[in-house]
Amino acid sequence: MTDEASHGFLGEEFLTWLWFRAETSGGELPLGDGKTVGFTIDDLIEFAPLDEDETQSAVKRGSPTKSAVARAALKSGRRLRKARLILAVEDRVYSATVDGPTLSFSSVKLPDDDPDLELAERSEERAQAFLELESIVDVLYRQFLELRLDRSFQGGEGERQANWMAGSARS
Amino acid sequence: MFRRSGSFVSFFVSGQMPTPHSEEFLQALSEHRFRDISMASSEEVSTGWVTPKDPTGETFDADALELGDTIWMRFRTDRKKLPTVWVNIHRATAEQSAGRKLSAKERKDLKEDLMQQLLPRILPSVALIDALYQPRQKKVVLFGTAVAVRDAFRKLMFDSFGVELTQADGYERAARSGLDGDLLKRLGEVSPVRWAPDSESGRDLPDPVRDSFEEPTPEPIAEPHDVAEDQDLEHKGSEEPESEVSA
Repeated sequence: MTDEASHGFLGEEFLTWLWFRAETSGGELPLGDGKTVGFTIDDLIEFAPLDEDETQSAVKRGSPTKSAVARAALKSGRRLRKARLILAVEDRVYSATVDGPTLSFSSVKLPDDDPDLELAERSEERAQAFLELESIVDVLYRQFLELRLDRSFQGGEGERQANWMAGSARS
Repeated sequence: MFRRSGSFVSFFVSGQMPTPHSEEFLQALSEHRFRDISMASSEEVSTGWVTPKDPTGETFDADALELGDTIWMRFRTDRKKLPTVWVNIHRATAEQSAGRKLSAKERKDLKEDLMQQLLPRILPSVALIDALYQPRQKKVVLFGTAVAVRDAFRKLMFDSFGVELTQADGYERAARSGLDGDLLKRLGEVSPVRWAPDSESGRDLPDPVRDSFEEPTPEPIAEPHDVAEDQDLEHKGSEEPESEVSA
Protein backbone atom coordinates (compact mmCIF):
# COMPACT_ATOMS: atom_id res chain seq x y z
CA MET A 1 0.00 0.00 0.00
CA THR A 2 1.33 3.47 -0.84
CA ASP A 3 1.63 6.20 1.75
CA GLU A 4 -1.11 8.14 -0.02
CA ALA A 5 -3.50 5.22 -0.01
CA SER A 6 -2.73 4.33 3.58
CA HIS A 7 -3.09 7.93 4.87
CA GLY A 8 -6.35 8.91 3.18
CA PHE A 9 -7.97 8.75 6.61
CA LEU A 10 -6.03 11.85 7.72
CA GLY A 11 -7.98 14.05 5.32
CA GLU A 12 -11.22 12.48 6.52
CA GLU A 13 -10.28 13.08 10.14
CA PHE A 14 -9.37 16.66 9.19
CA LEU A 15 -12.84 17.36 7.76
CA THR A 16 -14.50 15.79 10.80
CA TRP A 17 -12.29 17.92 13.07
CA LEU A 18 -13.30 21.06 11.15
CA TRP A 19 -16.92 20.20 11.81
CA PHE A 20 -16.13 19.66 15.51
CA ARG A 21 -14.29 22.98 15.69
CA ALA A 22 -17.00 24.81 13.76
CA GLU A 23 -19.55 23.74 16.35
CA THR A 24 -17.52 23.97 19.52
CA SER A 25 -15.00 26.77 18.99
CA GLY A 26 -17.00 29.33 17.12
CA GLY A 27 -15.68 28.25 13.72
CA GLU A 28 -12.72 30.61 13.70
CA LEU A 29 -9.02 29.88 13.60
CA PRO A 30 -5.97 32.10 13.12
CA LEU A 31 -4.14 31.93 9.82
CA GLY A 32 -0.82 32.96 11.31
CA ASP A 33 -0.48 36.20 9.36
CA GLY A 34 -2.66 38.26 11.69
CA LYS A 35 -5.77 37.21 9.82
CA THR A 36 -8.50 34.87 10.97
CA VAL A 37 -10.53 32.44 8.91
CA GLY A 38 -14.15 31.78 9.70
CA PHE A 39 -15.43 28.42 8.52
CA THR A 40 -18.51 26.28 8.56
CA ILE A 41 -19.83 23.13 6.90
CA ASP A 42 -22.36 24.00 4.23
CA ASP A 43 -24.97 21.94 2.40
CA LEU A 44 -23.16 18.68 1.66
CA ILE A 45 -21.55 16.08 3.84
CA GLU A 46 -20.61 12.56 2.90
CA PHE A 47 -19.57 9.92 5.41
CA ALA A 48 -16.87 7.36 4.80
CA PRO A 49 -17.86 3.78 5.51
CA LEU A 50 -16.45 2.39 8.75
CA ASP A 51 -15.44 -0.76 6.93
CA GLU A 52 -15.73 -2.34 3.49
CA ASP A 53 -19.18 -3.77 4.19
CA GLU A 54 -20.73 -0.42 5.02
CA THR A 55 -22.14 2.00 2.51
CA GLN A 56 -20.93 5.52 1.92
CA SER A 57 -23.73 7.96 2.69
CA ALA A 58 -24.28 11.56 1.75
CA VAL A 59 -26.57 14.16 3.30
CA LYS A 60 -27.36 17.14 1.12
CA ARG A 61 -29.16 20.48 1.19
CA GLY A 62 -30.67 22.43 4.04
CA SER A 63 -28.57 21.97 7.16
CA PRO A 64 -27.14 18.48 6.76
CA THR A 65 -24.93 18.74 9.85
CA LYS A 66 -28.05 19.18 11.99
CA SER A 67 -29.87 16.16 10.55
CA ALA A 68 -30.59 13.08 12.63
CA VAL A 69 -28.80 10.93 10.05
CA ALA A 70 -25.62 12.98 10.38
CA ARG A 71 -25.74 12.98 14.15
CA ALA A 72 -26.26 9.22 14.26
CA ALA A 73 -23.34 8.71 11.88
CA LEU A 74 -21.09 10.81 14.11
CA LYS A 75 -22.20 8.92 17.16
CA SER A 76 -21.31 5.64 15.53
CA GLY A 77 -17.83 6.97 14.87
CA ARG A 78 -17.97 7.71 11.15
CA ARG A 79 -15.61 10.20 9.54
CA LEU A 80 -16.41 12.71 6.84
CA ARG A 81 -15.29 11.59 3.41
CA LYS A 82 -16.34 14.83 1.77
CA ALA A 83 -17.72 18.17 2.94
CA ARG A 84 -18.75 21.45 1.41
CA LEU A 85 -16.99 24.21 3.29
CA ILE A 86 -17.60 27.91 3.49
CA LEU A 87 -14.48 29.86 4.39
CA ALA A 88 -14.31 33.59 5.02
CA VAL A 89 -11.18 35.73 5.33
CA GLU A 90 -11.75 39.45 5.78
CA ASP A 91 -14.44 40.28 3.20
CA ARG A 92 -13.66 37.34 0.92
CA VAL A 93 -15.94 34.31 1.06
CA TYR A 94 -15.07 31.00 -0.59
CA SER A 95 -17.05 27.82 -0.89
CA ALA A 96 -15.73 24.47 -2.02
CA THR A 97 -16.36 20.78 -1.65
CA VAL A 98 -13.25 19.13 -0.25
CA ASP A 99 -12.56 15.43 -0.72
CA GLY A 100 -10.88 14.06 2.41
CA PRO A 101 -8.67 11.27 1.07
CA THR A 102 -7.27 13.29 -1.85
CA LEU A 103 -7.72 16.83 -0.50
CA SER A 104 -8.92 17.88 -3.93
CA PHE A 105 -11.43 20.69 -4.37
CA SER A 106 -14.60 20.64 -6.43
CA SER A 107 -17.44 23.08 -7.17
CA VAL A 108 -15.27 25.95 -5.98
CA LYS A 109 -16.84 29.38 -5.86
CA LEU A 110 -14.61 32.38 -5.48
CA PRO A 111 -15.42 35.75 -3.91
CA ASP A 112 -17.09 38.31 -6.14
CA ASP A 113 -14.84 40.15 -8.59
CA ASP A 114 -13.75 43.67 -7.93
CA PRO A 115 -15.72 45.54 -10.62
CA ASP A 116 -13.07 48.26 -10.85
CA LEU A 117 -10.43 45.88 -12.17
CA GLU A 118 -9.46 45.55 -15.83
CA LEU A 119 -9.89 42.13 -17.44
CA ALA A 120 -6.24 41.15 -17.11
CA GLU A 121 -6.17 42.23 -13.46
CA ARG A 122 -9.38 40.33 -12.83
CA SER A 123 -7.84 37.14 -14.22
CA GLU A 124 -4.86 37.57 -11.94
CA GLU A 125 -7.12 38.21 -8.96
CA ARG A 126 -9.13 35.07 -9.64
CA ALA A 127 -6.01 32.92 -10.02
CA GLN A 128 -4.69 34.30 -6.74
CA ALA A 129 -8.05 33.60 -5.11
CA PHE A 130 -7.85 29.91 -6.05
CA LEU A 131 -4.36 29.77 -4.59
CA GLU A 132 -5.48 31.60 -1.44
CA LEU A 133 -8.30 29.11 -0.95
CA GLU A 134 -5.83 26.24 -1.12
CA SER A 135 -3.41 27.96 1.20
CA ILE A 136 -6.16 28.59 3.79
CA VAL A 137 -7.05 24.91 3.79
CA ASP A 138 -3.35 24.04 4.05
CA VAL A 139 -2.99 26.24 7.13
CA LEU A 140 -6.05 24.66 8.76
CA TYR A 141 -4.76 21.20 7.87
CA ARG A 142 -1.40 21.99 9.42
CA GLN A 143 -3.13 23.12 12.65
CA PHE A 144 -5.08 19.88 12.68
CA LEU A 145 -1.91 17.84 12.16
CA GLU A 146 -0.11 19.59 15.01
CA LEU A 147 -2.88 18.48 17.35
CA ARG A 148 -3.48 15.08 15.80
CA LEU A 149 0.15 13.98 15.73
CA ASP A 150 0.94 15.28 19.20
CA ARG A 151 1.29 12.73 21.97
CA SER A 152 -1.32 14.56 24.06
CA PHE A 153 -4.02 14.19 21.39
CA GLN A 154 -5.82 11.25 23.00
CA GLY A 155 -6.27 12.94 26.35
CA GLY A 156 -6.88 16.41 24.94
CA GLU A 157 -8.33 17.35 21.58
CA GLY A 158 -9.21 13.72 20.81
CA GLU A 159 -11.15 13.33 24.02
CA ARG A 160 -13.01 16.59 23.49
CA GLN A 161 -13.93 15.51 19.98
CA ALA A 162 -15.02 12.09 21.26
CA ASN A 163 -17.34 13.76 23.76
CA TRP A 164 -18.75 16.01 21.06
CA MET A 165 -19.38 13.05 18.78
CA ALA A 166 -20.98 11.09 21.63
CA GLY A 167 -23.29 13.97 22.43
CA SER A 168 -24.35 14.29 18.83
CA ALA A 169 -27.54 12.27 19.19
CA ARG A 170 -28.77 14.65 21.84
CA SER A 171 -28.20 17.76 19.73
CA MET B 1 -10.32 35.73 -18.49
CA PHE B 2 -9.49 33.19 -15.82
CA ARG B 3 -12.37 31.12 -14.49
CA ARG B 4 -14.26 32.00 -11.33
CA SER B 5 -15.44 28.51 -10.38
CA GLY B 6 -14.44 24.93 -10.95
CA SER B 7 -12.65 21.95 -9.48
CA PHE B 8 -8.97 21.46 -8.95
CA VAL B 9 -6.31 19.14 -7.69
CA SER B 10 -2.72 20.08 -6.85
CA PHE B 11 0.61 18.44 -7.55
CA PHE B 12 4.12 18.86 -6.23
CA VAL B 13 6.72 19.08 -8.98
CA SER B 14 9.78 16.83 -8.69
CA GLY B 15 12.61 17.79 -10.97
CA GLN B 16 13.88 20.99 -12.51
CA MET B 17 11.47 23.03 -14.59
CA PRO B 18 13.01 25.66 -16.87
CA THR B 19 12.53 29.24 -15.75
CA PRO B 20 9.12 30.47 -16.87
CA HIS B 21 9.31 32.87 -19.83
CA SER B 22 12.73 31.49 -20.75
CA GLU B 23 13.35 30.36 -24.30
CA GLU B 24 13.72 26.80 -23.02
CA PHE B 25 10.33 26.90 -21.30
CA LEU B 26 8.52 28.28 -24.34
CA GLN B 27 10.30 25.84 -26.62
CA ALA B 28 9.21 22.89 -24.47
CA LEU B 29 5.62 24.06 -24.77
CA SER B 30 5.97 24.57 -28.48
CA GLU B 31 7.51 21.14 -29.06
CA HIS B 32 4.53 19.54 -27.35
CA ARG B 33 1.95 21.91 -28.71
CA PHE B 34 -1.55 20.84 -29.59
CA ARG B 35 -1.91 19.35 -33.09
CA ASP B 36 -5.17 19.65 -34.96
CA ILE B 37 -7.05 16.44 -35.84
CA SER B 38 -10.19 17.99 -37.29
CA MET B 39 -9.47 16.55 -40.75
CA ALA B 40 -8.35 13.12 -39.52
CA SER B 41 -10.15 10.10 -40.94
CA SER B 42 -9.47 7.82 -37.97
CA GLU B 43 -10.61 7.90 -34.36
CA GLU B 44 -7.97 9.89 -32.54
CA VAL B 45 -7.10 11.80 -29.42
CA SER B 46 -4.74 14.76 -29.58
CA THR B 47 -3.35 16.42 -26.45
CA GLY B 48 -0.92 19.33 -26.34
CA TRP B 49 -0.16 22.81 -25.04
CA VAL B 50 -1.94 25.93 -26.16
CA THR B 51 -2.06 29.34 -24.48
CA PRO B 52 -5.02 31.18 -22.97
CA LYS B 53 -4.79 33.67 -25.84
CA ASP B 54 -4.32 31.19 -28.67
CA PRO B 55 -6.29 27.93 -28.43
CA THR B 56 -4.81 26.63 -31.71
CA GLY B 57 -1.33 25.89 -30.33
CA GLU B 58 0.30 27.90 -33.12
CA THR B 59 1.88 30.62 -30.95
CA PHE B 60 3.45 30.72 -27.52
CA ASP B 61 3.68 34.26 -26.25
CA ALA B 62 5.32 34.56 -22.82
CA ASP B 63 3.02 37.43 -21.85
CA ALA B 64 -0.02 35.22 -22.37
CA LEU B 65 1.17 32.90 -19.60
CA GLU B 66 1.83 35.48 -16.93
CA LEU B 67 -0.52 35.98 -13.98
CA GLY B 68 1.64 37.82 -11.47
CA ASP B 69 4.04 35.30 -9.91
CA THR B 70 2.00 32.46 -11.31
CA ILE B 71 2.16 30.87 -14.76
CA TRP B 72 -1.14 30.19 -16.45
CA MET B 73 -0.68 27.02 -18.50
CA ARG B 74 -3.37 25.50 -20.69
CA PHE B 75 -3.59 22.27 -22.59
CA ARG B 76 -6.12 21.10 -25.10
CA THR B 77 -7.44 17.61 -25.73
CA ASP B 78 -9.46 16.91 -28.87
CA ARG B 79 -11.17 13.58 -29.25
CA LYS B 80 -12.60 12.32 -32.49
CA LYS B 81 -14.98 9.40 -32.32
CA LEU B 82 -17.45 7.90 -34.77
CA PRO B 83 -20.90 8.21 -33.16
CA THR B 84 -22.31 4.77 -32.36
CA VAL B 85 -25.75 5.83 -33.50
CA TRP B 86 -24.47 6.36 -37.06
CA VAL B 87 -22.89 2.91 -37.11
CA ASN B 88 -26.18 1.37 -35.94
CA ILE B 89 -28.21 3.23 -38.58
CA HIS B 90 -25.93 2.14 -41.43
CA ARG B 91 -25.77 -1.41 -40.12
CA ALA B 92 -29.58 -1.65 -39.92
CA THR B 93 -29.86 -0.33 -43.50
CA ALA B 94 -27.27 -2.82 -44.77
CA GLU B 95 -28.97 -5.72 -43.01
CA GLN B 96 -32.35 -4.70 -44.43
CA SER B 97 -30.89 -4.65 -47.97
CA ALA B 98 -29.15 -7.99 -47.49
CA GLY B 99 -32.19 -9.55 -45.82
CA ARG B 100 -29.98 -11.08 -43.13
CA LYS B 101 -27.71 -10.16 -40.25
CA LEU B 102 -24.20 -9.06 -41.16
CA SER B 103 -21.30 -11.28 -40.24
CA ALA B 104 -18.60 -10.03 -37.90
CA LYS B 105 -16.27 -9.33 -40.84
CA GLU B 106 -18.99 -7.45 -42.73
CA ARG B 107 -19.73 -5.35 -39.63
CA LYS B 108 -16.02 -4.55 -39.28
CA ASP B 109 -15.75 -3.58 -42.96
CA LEU B 110 -18.87 -1.44 -42.68
CA LYS B 111 -17.45 0.44 -39.70
CA GLU B 112 -14.16 1.06 -41.49
CA ASP B 113 -15.99 2.40 -44.55
CA LEU B 114 -18.05 4.70 -42.37
CA MET B 115 -14.94 6.00 -40.64
CA GLN B 116 -13.40 6.86 -43.99
CA GLN B 117 -16.57 8.62 -45.13
CA LEU B 118 -17.76 10.31 -41.95
CA LEU B 119 -14.81 11.07 -39.69
CA PRO B 120 -13.34 13.85 -41.86
CA ARG B 121 -16.77 15.53 -41.57
CA ILE B 122 -17.10 15.08 -37.80
CA LEU B 123 -15.72 17.75 -35.54
CA PRO B 124 -13.79 16.51 -32.53
CA SER B 125 -14.90 17.23 -28.99
CA VAL B 126 -12.64 19.88 -27.46
CA ALA B 127 -11.52 20.23 -23.83
CA LEU B 128 -9.37 23.13 -22.65
CA ILE B 129 -7.78 22.49 -19.26
CA ASP B 130 -6.07 25.19 -17.21
CA ALA B 131 -3.23 24.82 -14.75
CA LEU B 132 -1.53 27.34 -12.48
CA TYR B 133 2.18 26.73 -12.00
CA GLN B 134 3.81 28.28 -8.94
CA PRO B 135 7.54 28.18 -9.62
CA ARG B 136 8.67 29.20 -6.12
CA GLN B 137 6.52 26.59 -4.39
CA LYS B 138 7.22 23.99 -7.10
CA LYS B 139 3.49 23.30 -7.19
CA VAL B 140 0.95 23.17 -9.93
CA VAL B 141 -2.82 23.42 -9.59
CA LEU B 142 -4.75 21.53 -12.26
CA PHE B 143 -8.32 22.54 -13.03
CA GLY B 144 -9.58 19.06 -13.78
CA THR B 145 -9.96 16.21 -11.34
CA ALA B 146 -10.89 13.28 -13.61
CA VAL B 147 -8.33 10.48 -13.67
CA ALA B 148 -7.94 10.75 -17.46
CA VAL B 149 -7.24 14.49 -17.21
CA ARG B 150 -4.71 14.03 -14.39
CA ASP B 151 -2.95 11.26 -16.30
CA ALA B 152 -2.83 13.29 -19.52
CA PHE B 153 -1.41 16.28 -17.64
CA ARG B 154 1.21 14.19 -15.84
CA LYS B 155 2.33 12.71 -19.15
CA LEU B 156 2.42 16.07 -20.88
CA MET B 157 4.47 17.64 -18.08
CA PHE B 158 6.89 14.72 -18.13
CA ASP B 159 7.21 14.70 -21.90
CA SER B 160 7.65 18.48 -22.06
CA PHE B 161 9.83 19.23 -19.05
CA GLY B 162 11.02 15.85 -17.74
CA VAL B 163 9.38 16.48 -14.34
CA GLU B 164 7.33 14.08 -12.24
CA LEU B 165 4.15 15.20 -10.51
CA THR B 166 3.07 13.92 -7.11
CA GLN B 167 -0.51 14.55 -6.16
CA ALA B 168 -0.86 16.81 -3.11
CA ASP B 169 -3.08 14.51 -1.05
CA GLY B 170 -3.33 14.46 2.73
CA TYR B 171 -0.09 12.59 3.22
CA GLU B 172 2.03 14.60 0.77
CA ARG B 173 0.70 17.92 2.07
CA ALA B 174 1.47 16.82 5.63
CA ALA B 175 4.94 15.58 4.74
CA ARG B 176 5.80 18.89 3.06
CA SER B 177 4.08 21.22 5.52
CA GLY B 178 7.17 21.86 7.63
CA LEU B 179 6.12 19.77 10.63
CA ASP B 180 8.88 19.41 13.20
CA GLY B 181 10.90 16.20 13.41
CA ASP B 182 8.82 14.38 16.05
CA LEU B 183 5.51 15.13 14.39
CA LEU B 184 6.91 14.18 11.01
CA LYS B 185 8.12 10.87 12.42
CA ARG B 186 4.67 10.17 13.85
CA LEU B 187 3.08 10.96 10.50
CA GLY B 188 4.63 7.78 9.15
CA GLU B 189 3.31 5.76 12.09
CA VAL B 190 -0.11 7.22 12.70
CA SER B 191 -3.20 5.06 12.27
CA PRO B 192 -6.87 6.04 12.16
CA VAL B 193 -8.64 6.99 15.37
CA ARG B 194 -11.48 4.58 15.98
CA TRP B 195 -14.30 6.67 17.32
CA ALA B 196 -16.26 3.56 18.23
CA PRO B 197 -18.73 3.04 21.08
CA ASP B 198 -17.34 1.09 23.99
CA SER B 199 -19.10 -2.24 23.55
CA GLU B 200 -17.61 -3.86 26.65
CA SER B 201 -18.78 -1.32 29.18
CA GLY B 202 -21.90 -0.46 27.23
CA ARG B 203 -21.16 3.24 27.68
CA ASP B 204 -22.82 5.37 25.08
CA LEU B 205 -19.65 7.22 24.20
CA PRO B 206 -17.21 6.93 21.35
CA ASP B 207 -13.72 6.72 22.67
CA PRO B 208 -10.67 7.47 20.63
CA VAL B 209 -8.65 4.33 20.66
CA ARG B 210 -5.00 4.60 21.53
CA ASP B 211 -3.02 4.34 18.38
CA SER B 212 0.55 4.25 17.33
CA PHE B 213 1.63 7.41 19.08
CA GLU B 214 0.63 6.24 22.54
CA GLU B 215 3.40 7.01 25.01
CA PRO B 216 5.78 4.08 24.86
CA THR B 217 6.16 1.99 27.99
CA PRO B 218 9.45 2.95 29.62
CA GLU B 219 12.09 0.33 29.22
CA PRO B 220 13.00 -1.49 32.45
CA ILE B 221 16.37 -0.72 33.94
CA ALA B 222 18.67 -2.96 32.04
CA GLU B 223 19.56 -6.34 33.23
CA PRO B 224 21.85 -8.34 31.01
CA HIS B 225 19.91 -9.73 28.06
CA ASP B 226 20.64 -10.65 24.52
CA VAL B 227 19.70 -8.95 21.28
CA ALA B 228 17.39 -11.75 20.16
CA GLU B 229 15.19 -11.10 23.21
CA ASP B 230 14.96 -7.39 22.32
CA GLN B 231 13.92 -8.18 18.77
CA ASP B 232 11.29 -10.61 19.99
CA LEU B 233 9.82 -7.98 22.33
CA GLU B 234 9.72 -5.38 19.57
CA HIS B 235 7.98 -7.83 17.29
CA LYS B 236 5.33 -8.69 19.87
CA GLY B 237 4.83 -5.01 20.64
CA SER B 238 3.99 -4.20 17.05
CA GLU B 239 1.29 -6.87 16.93
CA GLU B 240 -0.43 -5.85 20.14
CA PRO B 241 -4.04 -4.92 19.48
CA GLU B 242 -5.04 -1.32 20.02
CA SER B 243 -6.53 -0.66 23.41
CA GLU B 244 -9.13 1.92 24.26
CA VAL B 245 -8.72 4.93 26.47
CA SER B 246 -11.44 6.34 28.66
CA ALA B 247 -12.90 9.62 27.65
